[in-house]
Amino acid sequence: MLRLSLKRRRQLLPWLFVGPGLMWLIVFFAIPLLNQANVSLQSGDAETGYAFNWAFGTYTSALSDYQTQFVRSLGYAATATLLDLVIAFPLAYFAAFKAGRFKNLILLLIVLPFFTSYVLRTVAWQLILSDGGWVTNRFRDVGLIGADGRLLASRTAVIAGITYNFLPFMALPLFVSLEKIDRRLIEAATDLYASRAQAFRRVTLPLALPGIFAGSLLTFIPACGDFINAALLGTSRQYMIGNVIQSKFLTILDYPTAAALSFILMTLILVGVLVYARLLGTQQLTEAAF
Amino acid sequence: MSDPHLEQALEEFFEAERLSRRGFLGRAGSTGVALTGLSAVLAACGGVKGEAQKSKTTKVAVVSHPKTTIGDWTFANWPLYIDKQVIKDFNKKFGGHCKYVEEINDNNEFFGKVRQQLQAKQPIGRDIVTLTDYMASRWVRLNYCQPLDKKNIPNISNLEDNLRTINYDPKREFTLPWQSGAIGLGYNPKKTGREIKSVKDLFDPKFKGRVTMLSEPYDSANTVLLGDGVNASNATIDQILGAIAKIDAANKKGQFRRFTGNDYTTDLAKGNTWIALAYSGDLVQLQSDNPELRFAYPEEGAMLFTDNMMLPTKAEHPYAAETMMNYVYEPEVAATIAAYVNYISPVKGIQDILANRKGGAAIAKNPLIFPSAAIRKQLHPYPALSPKDEQTMQQAMAKVTGA
Repeated sequence: MLRLSLKRRRQLLPWLFVGPGLMWLIVFFAIPLLNQANVSLQSGDAETGYAFNWAFGTYTSALSDYQTQFVRSLGYAATATLLDLVIAFPLAYFAAFKAGRFKNLILLLIVLPFFTSYVLRTVAWQLILSDGGWVTNRFRDVGLIGADGRLLASRTAVIAGITYNFLPFMALPLFVSLEKIDRRLIEAATDLYASRAQAFRRVTLPLALPGIFAGSLLTFIPACGDFINAALLGTSRQYMIGNVIQSKFLTILDYPTAAALSFILMTLILVGVLVYARLLGTQQLTEAAF
Repeated sequence: MSDPHLEQALEEFFEAERLSRRGFLGRAGSTGVALTGLSAVLAACGGVKGEAQKSKTTKVAVVSHPKTTIGDWTFANWPLYIDKQVIKDFNKKFGGHCKYVEEINDNNEFFGKVRQQLQAKQPIGRDIVTLTDYMASRWVRLNYCQPLDKKNIPNISNLEDNLRTINYDPKREFTLPWQSGAIGLGYNPKKTGREIKSVKDLFDPKFKGRVTMLSEPYDSANTVLLGDGVNASNATIDQILGAIAKIDAANKKGQFRRFTGNDYTTDLAKGNTWIALAYSGDLVQLQSDNPELRFAYPEEGAMLFTDNMMLPTKAEHPYAAETMMNYVYEPEVAATIAAYVNYISPVKGIQDILANRKGGAAIAKNPLIFPSAAIRKQLHPYPALSPKDEQTMQQAMAKVTGA
């Protein structure tokens, strides 16, 4: 058997550990990504096939043709993320600080609906919000929607659907970071100078930032590319970029545009995340995380 | 909320995208649908290169597929588009084994899945595929299917007269109709307050937000053209673009609730929408659960689509495929299929068979399955568009539907 020097073994060891993960990334991420990049630069038509020829024009036309859907996706995803934060924070706070022995029960309740498939849950909303349904009628009774109005097939329904579907992705990271907070820090703050509100603002909230950051990324990124909520709860006037990509890939068979749209979306999200990290303060985040 | 509803909505969701018109009500099978979708994506990711292939109109040589044993062969069709008993009976009668796969959920999606192999002149592992007129036309044009040996299909004499010729295959050398259906008006008279008769009703402001439109322009734009008195079978691309513009204008005013594949059925059945541009066979199935729903052939005429059996190039079991084609053109067998799928059968003489069959009388009387001669005259096949025009049309419609 080949005997390696200790030094050599020390050098190899990290690769051994990273190896499986790295292979996974290469096979299921890097290669498809490159392939996708290749497809996005092809031109041709669905009937005779596409060939690679550095067709950068696809990017500009994709961006200008589907600007509306891009803006809409980012807008819907941002709104839903914000709503999720507003809903999930008190929930996670309660679970972490106040629930006592019911903590696990609350966590279970947050996760429970997600034992059902994503599409199925969205379809359920389609039935709940249907025009003659109970919910719509009550909204009508209190005058929130007109006599002729509807909940289903509207922007409200799509955003509500996204908010609902991604809630746990916000609530769980929030819970984890709130749970980790050393209670004595809050005690110290209130002992030394702070009212409860001040202590929350100056101590709890900053320490929860990693959770807010992680939660909003986990919500915002998949929400941007979501197409199920718009397809089931919206109309063509609510279609998001995910719907366009899906139809380009599967029904129009315009693979280059679909690939280009995916790349543009990826870039937009990446830039957005960087800006967001900068705004929240990356340094503060990493410090708080460790 | 009951399970069948969820299932139904789910399946329709997966079916929704385009041109899936097989009734899909309350039955299982969505996983397969999702999987085919996935494999199409994977196929798409696998690099889509290819040299341009000239379409040429070849002169059909005399084909001969000599009699041989049937063996294991494959028939690709749309979901719920046959009474499975027919397959069992076929296997029993002719031997061999027919692998019947319900894998076609969308013409384009299926095309995307097998195109590379067809272009490379490789067998696609399917001996019969069933595709809708305009896609069948594309396969004929690209030589992706091969001529049929009519000696193996004597029952072709049972083919309905109006289907004996079609613009893309005037002598039916490559294609044989499987089933046809009409695109018409599905509606709920309790909601609309009156009978719906005209394409113009789709645009009536009284029904604002209560109408669904089909997203496939071959169906929707052409129907709108018929409504405007244009013979859509001869429509030019400019006329079609005009119809799409008309749809766009109405959509911007909020006239249409959604653009749909065959997922209009949920909204119509639940009363969310009152009128849908609909496929005749779907309505027959919907009516069994919602007897108040009606289907009208528009008085201005209706588009007629036909799904066609074809023998893909390099198919390995042409004799088996042709034997099956012949078998399903036997009136008794065709009657069994019609009773199950509720679309318009291409085979003559099955109305009488059904009328005398136990439980078949109602079907034999149903005008959606057996349109009267007067209505048949009003059914128009799709126009033959050049590949370029077809693409222009699809792109224009995609802009309107937001995808």
